[in-house]
Amino acid sequence: MCRGETPHRPIAAFLLAAAVAALVACGGDGEGGSRELTWFIQSQPGGALEEIAATCEEQSGGRYTIGFELLPSDASQAREQLVRRLGAEDDTIDLIGMDIIWTGEFANAGWILPVPDQIRPAVTENVFDTVLETASFEGEMVNVPIWSNTQLLWYREDLVPEPPRTWDEMIAMAQELGPQGTIQLQANRYEGLMVWANYMIESAGTTILQAPEEIGLEQDPTELALSTMGRVSRSSAAATDITTSTEDSARLGFESGESAFMINYPFVFPSAQENAPDIFENLAATQLPRVDPSIESAPPIGGINLGVSAFSDSPELSFEAIECLVSAENQLQVAEIEGLPPVRSDLYDRPELQEVYPGFADQIRSSIEDAAPRPSGSAAYQDISLAVQRAIHPTTDIDPADPTPTYERLVDRVEQAIERRGLL
Amino acid sequence: MSERARSERKLAWMLCAPAVIAMLLVTAYPIIYAVVLSVQALDLRFPDEGGFVGIDNYVTVLTSPLWWQTVGNTVFITVVSVSIELVLGMIIALIMHRAIFGRGLVRTSVLIPYGIVTVVAAFAWFYAFDPETGFVNALPFVAEDMAWFGDRFSALSVIIAAEVWKTTPFMALLLLAGLTTIDEGLYEAAKMDGANAVQRFFRITLPLMKPAILVALLFRTLDAFRVFDSIFVMTAGSQGTESVSILGYNQLISRLNLGLGSAVSVLIFVLVLLIALAFVKGFGTSVPGREEEE
Amino acid sequence: MQRGTREYTLWSIGLLIVVLFALVPVLWLLMLSFKTPDTVSDGSFIPNAWTLENYTGLFEGGFESPLLRPLINSIVIALVATTIAIALASFTAYAIARLDFPGKGAILGGALAIAMFPPISTVGPLFDMWRTLGLYDTYAGLIIPYLTFALPLAIYTLVAFFREIPWDLEQAAQVDGATPLQAFRKVILPLAAPGVFTAAILVFIFAWNDFVFAISLTSSDASRTVPAALAFFTGESTFTSPTGNIAAAAMLVTIPIIIFVLIFQRRIVAGLTSGAVKG
Repeated sequence: MCRGETPHRPIAAFLLAAAVAALVACGGDGEGGSRELTWFIQSQPGGALEEIAATCEEQSGGRYTIGFELLPSDASQAREQLVRRLGAEDDTIDLIGMDIIWTGEFANAGWILPVPDQIRPAVTENVFDTVLETASFEGEMVNVPIWSNTQLLWYREDLVPEPPRTWDEMIAMAQELGPQGTIQLQANRYEGLMVWANYMIESAGTTILQAPEEIGLEQDPTELALSTMGRVSRSSAAATDITTSTEDSARLGFESGESAFMINYPFVFPSAQENAPDIFENLAATQLPRVDPSIESAPPIGGINLGVSAFSDSPELSFEAIECLVSAENQLQVAEIEGLPPVRSDLYDRPELQEVYPGFADQIRSSIEDAAPRPSGSAAYQDISLAVQRAIHPTTDIDPADPTPTYERLVDRVEQAIERRGLL
Repeated sequence: MSERARSERKLAWMLCAPAVIAMLLVTAYPIIYAVVLSVQALDLRFPDEGGFVGIDNYVTVLTSPLWWQTVGNTVFITVVSVSIELVLGMIIALIMHRAIFGRGLVRTSVLIPYGIVTVVAAFAWFYAFDPETGFVNALPFVAEDMAWFGDRFSALSVIIAAEVWKTTPFMALLLLAGLTTIDEGLYEAAKMDGANAVQRFFRITLPLMKPAILVALLFRTLDAFRVFDSIFVMTAGSQGTESVSILGYNQLISRLNLGLGSAVSVLIFVLVLLIALAFVKGFGTSVPGREEEE
Repeated sequence: MQRGTREYTLWSIGLLIVVLFALVPVLWLLMLSFKTPDTVSDGSFIPNAWTLENYTGLFEGGFESPLLRPLINSIVIALVATTIAIALASFTAYAIARLDFPGKGAILGGALAIAMFPPISTVGPLFDMWRTLGLYDTYAGLIIPYLTFALPLAIYTLVAFFREIPWDLEQAAQVDGATPLQAFRKVILPLAAPGVFTAAILVFIFAWNDFVFAISLTSSDASRTVPAALAFFTGESTFTSPTGNIAAAAMLVTIPIIIFVLIFQRRIVAGLTSGAVKG
């Protein structure tokens, strides 16, 4: 309806409603020439998205232009906005910047289109396998990755000469350091807690779902993960606000000098440089610690994939635009301006990236390579994530000596969520 | 019936019709529609599933510990905040009524919380108590590392404090209106009889203000019962601080589970109805609007 | 005069406490909005380093800026809802105050019931209705619920005011040779205006304040109002929360209300109290 007339649409719609005539053709739809594609995406402060969109508009020779509809920076709220629009079969959406965990839900509901074969080779070339895994639903590619993200262990070299390899080591070191040695992480009841829990459970050697509709969560490894989470949460190594901690509260806590360790995304690096130069001098990064000392840690993975709305009028043009948007050069541009890690592994050898992530570009690459995605292939992912969050929050309530009650609650909640029963 | 009376009637109905239709369209119709949705398995994320499920959704809600926890929270927030507001509101109303000076100043300053957007008020309180950005933990007698939103009781306390701050002025103004209707002569007479200030308050002010107090309590109780904005901003419902409105929102809007969410909506509506009925019983004959029946 | 001094002191203390209680949270937000990013977490009430960046940042990019569009939406939606609500409420209040007809009690009772209605109970059905009618994420989609939920308040306030109007004057003016329209315009309108104006202020504050409908029935800047937009600001990166910007925007939406309240405080008090006492 009324495309290209966005500012007038609400008023027009109101007049129509007043006349109890809900639908009237608005006309003025761009005849031939250029189509405007609307891209719904969480805004990025540096303006890189606008730049790569402009690049692609130019390359298309004026066949399309890209307009932005910005989503909230909070991922859950961004999802709510989109889900409501798609639930309402809104045809103003063409491109969707999707958090990698929305794949199963959106694809199952029939809100996004499969990626056409013609563009697949170009958009999957050199892309990390772990990232590609987040872009498919029931074996079919439904999303095109544009950037990734992962968490590293950030620590202060002045306090910690040799970074810990396991959680046991880290907790011991932190306790020894006392008040300035706390560990910053994310354990508020939100998606960040699911990120932490998934990493802990995967690093203990099991998985939350072994198939989209089938629970995993083997008892022994899950209990190991839970008891480690409970132990750190209850110990003096935890920040006092652990039960409400988020990525940003972790950053602020670390920057204020009260912590020696922090599990967080790379955005903390430029932030520390600007806001806490003293701490920045000694800031170093390494792989996340292991839960089971004999198993490689499985770090979290984040980022954005691009999808095309099933209600779009111009799906072909949209995929064409996507192919351009995710090009290697554009990924580099996004990394340089916004600090967001590319999804193509070959780019990590480029000097530009070494400059964005001085000294830890390789850490990011290997962290993404080893990552264990959250079970986003499940159509009920949202419910499962909420169920996990509810079962283990607050993590200070998990008894490290006897995590079985928490384990049972977790299994029970996840089983309910798979069948989408119950209140959440 | 005379021609004139009949035409007056017709005019009156015509004048009332638009407002009545609007009110029915946005409240009565949706509630009926919610009842219809609540007996279906309707989840917009799973468009192929669905159909009539009878009272399944209600069973799910009523057997869920989560529902009862949110009801408990909502009742707790309502009772505590309305009680505090009543006391504070009465004090502020008395101060305004018995002003020696500065009446305008008090009125102006208490109207500011009333006018402020609830979300803004919630942000102000959230940032004040947040351990990272707040100033509260820097005050004397407060533990420097107190995580206010990390514990159910302290989080609820801050939520209640914000609610009280925002809505006490409304309570005070309603009570002030009641105070001004009391005949000053009664106080003079009581003074003559040797009643002190406390006795005068309990023997004269309170009994005569009963209707005003009941109206104020009714409005604030039902208003407090829908608490949403403050919780959404401050804890988003974590630490077991969800209200029934937050719960309904989560089912309806976050999960798009319209069936389950509508069952929650209908149950909230029933609760509100029960509270209103309880108050009407308390009012006896002095229900606002009843006099119009005659 | 012993007693006078003591009373004076007690009164001053009471006054001070009430004023502090009312103003400290607002002042705190104001102070926070002037803090620089690196001092935002220093825990000091008064900023150690002052900046206006938080305000200027809100309007960077003109129409695409985070605040301008929601601000326009808020103003237009609140004004339109207020106008329509007051028009409808005036008709109804006039009928109730002046005319004799059955169903009066039912209308007042019904309005009272709606004043107590839990908005969350209508959000789901409205969302579903709006998406079929194409009203989802439009101005109308918010205006309709706002004006409805504001109607009871407006009706009660207006009935109380209209009952005070000496309507006989209208007839008197007509006897003196004025046309009905002139009589209405010259005599009744000036008498009714203060009441209408008061009701309008209360409705406007109500519509300006709403959050539940604003976040449930909108999904883009096309119709999102300021309270909903506040929750959607972006920080330095995806994970940084823009505390300073939120505080600044919160102040910007608060200032008009404070000015409003300062100018019209007598009317607001009269409006809030009239409905409750005489209703």
